[in-house]
Amino acid sequence: MNTHVEFTTQPVCLPTAYPATRELGATVEFHGIVRETEGGSAISGLHYEAHEPMARRQVQRIIDRLHITWPCHAVWFIHRLGWVPVGESSLYIRVHASHREQAFGFCMDLIDLLKKDVPIWKLTPPPRPGAEAASPPGSK
Amino acid sequence: MKILTFASAREKAGFTEIDIPVDPAETPRAILRRIAPRLPLADLRAAIDCEYWDWDAPVGSASELAIIPPVSGG
Repeated sequence: MNTHVEFTTQPVCLPTAYPATRELGATVEFHGIVRETEGGSAISGLHYEAHEPMARRQVQRIIDRLHITWPCHAVWFIHRLGWVPVGESSLYIRVHASHREQAFGFCMDLIDLLKKDVPIWKLTPPPRPGAEAASPPGSK
Repeated sequence: MKILTFASAREKAGFTEIDIPVDPAETPRAILRRIAPRLPLADLRAAIDCEYWDWDAPVGSASELAIIPPVSGG
């Protein structure tokens, strides 16, 4: 299995490489995107912080462990650090596998474990002056 | 030993990084009690040289202790 683990302060640059195998039957891509509200308050973006050496090690370990449950051909993991504006991807995952069950399962479990054990934090900025989150339709 | 704090743990501890002498027999709990006695450890995890570590296990010859608050990546 080929893996690519990257932390970057730049916008996610989508990988163009695909595994050179004719057994590739499923590709799942996930974008985690910064929404315009956080905790009910309007925001213009989020700041991400990490213990990067530890985060890199934890992500690689999770990927190696998940490969036992969900065998895959290749995994790309890119996480933004620093300021990420609303509407941009903070997280990008691409999983290449032979079958959809493996690709979806790997991607879902990777995200779940990321949110449990990988030392990355999103820091919410103070609310914008005078800005309140819009109520969802039908909530009033 | 280098002591690192992150996110909410940094705000509560009042420092980002410090270097202090540490006895190999000391535990992360004892070290934190010494340098930040008012820092509540309930929601925090310790990591030694980039591996999660028991608060009550000796740090040995490690070079780094990181204080890890609840994570929120993604």
